[in-house]
This record gives sequence, structure tokens and C-alpha cells, in this order.
Amino acid sequence: MDETVAEFIKRTILKIPMTEMMTILKAWDFLPENQLQTVNFRQRKESLVQDLVLLCENKRASLRDAALLDIIYTQFHRHQKVWDVFQMSKEPGEDVDLFDMEQFKSSFEKILRRALKNVTVSFRDSEENAVWIRIAWGTQYRKPNQYKPVFVVYYSQTPYVFTSFCHLKSNTPLLSQALTVASNHHKIVKMDLRSRYLDSLKAIVFKQYNQKFETHNSTMPLQENLELDMHMDSRIIHENRIEKERVQRVTQETFGDYPQPRLEFAQYKLETKFKSDFHGGILAERKEPLRCLIKFSSPHLLEALKSLAPAGIADAPLSPLLTCIPNKGMNYFKIRDK
Amino acid sequence: MEWANDKSKGGVLAHLERLETQMSRSCKNLEDPPRETAESDLGTKIRKLRCLRDKLRAEVKQRQARIKASTANAEPDQTLEISEQEAVGGKEENMKAILQAYRFTGLSGKRTSRGVCVCISTAFEGNLLDSYFVDLVIQKPLRIHHHSVPVFIPLEEISAKYLQTNIQHFLFCLCEYLNAYAGRKYQADQLQRDFAAFLAGPLQRNSLCNLLSFTYKVEPQSRSFPFCARLLYKDLTTTLPTDVTITYQGTDASSTSWEEQRASHENLFFTKPLHQVFTSFARNGERLDMSLVS
Repeated sequence: MDETVAEFIKRTILKIPMTEMMTILKAWDFLPENQLQTVNFRQRKESLVQDLVLLCENKRASLRDAALLDIIYTQFHRHQKVWDVFQMSKEPGEDVDLFDMEQFKSSFEKILRRALKNVTVSFRDSEENAVWIRIAWGTQYRKPNQYKPVFVVYYSQTPYVFTSFCHLKSNTPLLSQALTVASNHHKIVKMDLRSRYLDSLKAIVFKQYNQKFETHNSTMPLQENLELDMHMDSRIIHENRIEKERVQRVTQETFGDYPQPRLEFAQYKLETKFKSDFHGGILAERKEPLRCLIKFSSPHLLEALKSLAPAGIADAPLSPLLTCIPNKGMNYFKIRDK
Repeated sequence: MEWANDKSKGGVLAHLERLETQMSRSCKNLEDPPRETAESDLGTKIRKLRCLRDKLRAEVKQRQARIKASTANAEPDQTLEISEQEAVGGKEENMKAILQAYRFTGLSGKRTSRGVCVCISTAFEGNLLDSYFVDLVIQKPLRIHHHSVPVFIPLEEISAKYLQTNIQHFLFCLCEYLNAYAGRKYQADQLQRDFAAFLAGPLQRNSLCNLLSFTYKVEPQSRSFPFCARLLYKDLTTTLPTDVTITYQGTDASSTSWEEQRASHENLFFTKPLHQVFTSFARNGERLDMSLVS
């Protein structure tokens, strides 16, 4: 087994937390069950990794096998990457999409190899007719860098592609071309949507985040409103009851009853002229637009925005610039004067 | 307080302060006896109101008791009332059950505060499959608030064509697409689940289940998988393929019986649902076994 492959496998296995070790190795399915049982999983991690790498060497693990392990590790730890979303489109009136996964994979790889000899491409089918692609980029004269791969997730017969953040922007056009041609689309555009939470991005662009529907079969749960507070003590009067109820209603209409998809930030780039009521201020007479960047960050941005008005921090309804995020599928905005 | 926002008042705290100064001012103006009489006046007023309240409460209780007594006396009427009540209750239950059962027609809906929530329940060969929802907002223009239609079903296309002009057609068209998708998915799932022994390797499929590719055999005991099938469903509103290609990849390509089998398989896949084709393969296989035994 190549030394570089051995080193790569070693470093990948070292990243795996001990609690997930067995699960990931089983998913990899490269070392058979009986061999895994001969290994002592209670020893120190370094020794365990050495034993496992030895087993891989004996089984002559190839770069292909190592890349597959890397994909599986990333699938388990998708939050460690930052994901971008691309949207593809077809010409109107095109024939029905007869997507053939094998054809897609071979076409995709062919396009990359034609342009770049030094590239490692690996595929792993996943649920819902999707495929995870791992690409390690090289250059004309250098072998692919296995430690800075790009991951692509594509659900067949959809216009959306999710890619992990890539430092080498120079390869993005080639990647875009390969994706478009292999999936029978014509154009590809990068969306202004980025997050660590791949599943939330999927929920946003596939419009799956609101799955509550009224039917005759289910009884709608009674909305918890301020009535519960009222029965506390009749001597206590809620002075802002009407306003509080209005805020609750507006928040519920805007954000719904469902768990919000998870985003970490929203960024607004402003290029607008300063608008002020006071004439003669320093900024009032500027002809040039002001440039500034406003970034909202949170462990769970949309839930935080949802709680702003009920907490009394902001007026309801919130600015549409904040509430349109999941609907428009954007968390990057450029605002200019019209 | 709603008028706390009134600028001239200045908020709750300011209001309380004003009340306090008012009270201290009125205390200074009045002499002791008038203060006492004012207080005792209020006291008697409170007592009078309490008396009135108690009287009214007692009256209400009396009336309720009278009504109960009268209804207890008039028993036949009461039972009639109860049975009427039961009848109405029963009808209500019946209505609820009918409304719930409407989903078996495939297309049902429920009024919502902003419009209607349509439920499309798909089925194939008498099996009830998944339900999909479209929540419509009744406004000009009519729009979809949210839905559970999978992203690979061309919902935008269908709504662009029909939603504003002919909502019946919109729903009918969507029903067609969803039912056909559900039927194709059902066949593929059945094949994978019940006839895995006949397939070499996994069934190749895609999201819409409109391209299926697999290698198979027809004799359960045979070790080789001589046939390759590729089924295309170019019409997304049907559950049977539009293109079928069966290739024979066995060793004795010269034998004509293989060619006959291949051709007959093609015909089978065109006309019967996938899992039924394999059911007949399995049955033929059994028949062959039986002939060997006897």
C-alpha cells in the first residue's frame, strides 16, 4: 500500500471519535466483521489506529477505499464543513429528465479528467436517490491534495447542488460545468445561501421546512395563548394583553408553528445613500452611497429572530428583510438604492 | 394600560405618581369629618353593592333550581330532548367520519383561515400510498402557501399553467403526476423487497422512478443472471414504461429460445406492472419445479 495512502487512512481514522469508530468502520465495510472483532477497541486511540491501519495494509487498501472512508466520515460530520448552494436550470420545454445515476457519474468524472489529469473523484450513493461526490484537486504538475477535498451532494432530478466550501476558487467553473453537463442542465448559478447545516439548506431549497397541514383527521393542537396566564389570579391584570396577543399572532403568521431551519448568520451589504431627518448633518449631503456590512450571527438565527418580537426587543411585524430568509432561500443580501 | 402610550400621560409610573399627588392634595383640602363621611359613604356603598350582588346570585341559583325541577318533572320531554341531542351528536360524528373518509377518494380538502388545504392521497392497485398536501391562500392571485409535494415533481410548471385559470385542472394534473409517481415508486419498492433474489445487485433507480435498470434471472435456482433490463417512463403521468430494452448477456447467444424469452419479457414489462411480471416469473419457476418433481 502506498505510504501516502497509509498516512491518509491513518489521519482519517484518527479524526473519528471513539464513540463512532465501530459505526463508521461498519459503514465503510472494507474491513470484514471477523477482522474487526480481533482488534482491541479499548486500547489507547493511537495504538488502535495503528492496528487498524495494519489491517488495511494487509488488505491492500487503495486510494479509492481511503476516499470512501473520507466521504463516510464527512457524512457523519457534515457540520464541520460550510456548504454553498448552487441552482441549475434547463431550457424551457425540454424533454422529461431520464436521470441515469451511472451515466451521471461517468460523465461527471470524464469531464473533470479531460480538463485536469491530476484529480481524484469518488462517489457514494446515499438515501433519497442522492449521491455524495468527493473531489481532490491537483494541478498540471502536482498530485491531488487529499487533505483539502471538495464534497458535492446532489439529489437526482432536482435543480440544486450542495458543495462544501473550497479554497481553490479556480476550480469552481470546471466543477460547475461538470455538474451541469452531467445532469442535463444548461445553466448553473450560485445562490446567496450558505450554512454549516446541510439538512437545513436542503429543507430551505426543497421547501420542506413547513410540514404542518390542517386535515380532518388530525385535531389541531389548541394554540397556547395568553389565556393560560389569565387564570392565574383575577386580581392580576395584564395591561398589554391586547398588544401581546397581536405580537403572538403576527409572529405565528410569519414564522409558523414548525421548527425553523438552522442557519448561523444573515449578512446584509448596504450601498445606500444616508437618509436623515436632520438637514445639515455631516452625512446628509453625501452624494456617494454609504457602504456598510451588517451581520447577524446566532447558533440558530431563525429561532432567535422568531423570539425577538415576543421578547419585546423588536416590533412586530419584523422587517421583511429578516423574515424573507427561508422563503427566498437567501442569507446574503445586497441592498442598493432603487 | 392602552392609553399609557398617550404622550400627555407619560406612562404607568407617571400615572401612579399623579394619583398619589392627587390624593395628597385632596387630603389637604378636606377637613377630618368630611374625610370620614366620604369614607363611610364609600363603605356603605360597597356594602349595598355586595348585598345586591348576593341577592342576584341567590336569584340566579333559584331560577336554575326551578328549571332543573321542571325538567325533572317533565320526563318524557326530557328524554325526547336527550335523544334529539344524541341524534345530533351522532350526526356530527357521522359527518366527521365522512369528512375523514373523503381522503379515500384521492382528493379532499379542509377550509383554513386563509384558504383551503388540499390533500392528494395516492393509490396504486387498491393500495393506499402516501398523501401530499397543498395549502392554498385564497387571494387574487391564488397562491400556494406551503406544500409537501416532492421537489422533483414539476409543481411550478403545473401551477404556472393552470393555477390562476383553472384550479380544477391544476388539481387534476397534480393528482395525475403524484399518483403516477407513487405507482412507479410502489412497483420499484416491491421489486426490491420481494424479488431481490431474482436480481443481481441493487435496482438502479432515480428520484422520479422513471428510469429503472437491473440485471435479473427468471429461474430461481439458476446461478447466472442472463437478462439486463432498462425501463424508461417518458410519460410522467403513467405507471407503465414507454421504452423497454431487454438484452441477453448469457453465454449461448445462438439459442433461439433465449431470443424468444427476451422478446416475451419485453412484452411483459410493457403491459404489466413490474412486481406482477416477477410474480409470474416466480410462478413459472414453481411450475418448472413441479414438472421436474413429477
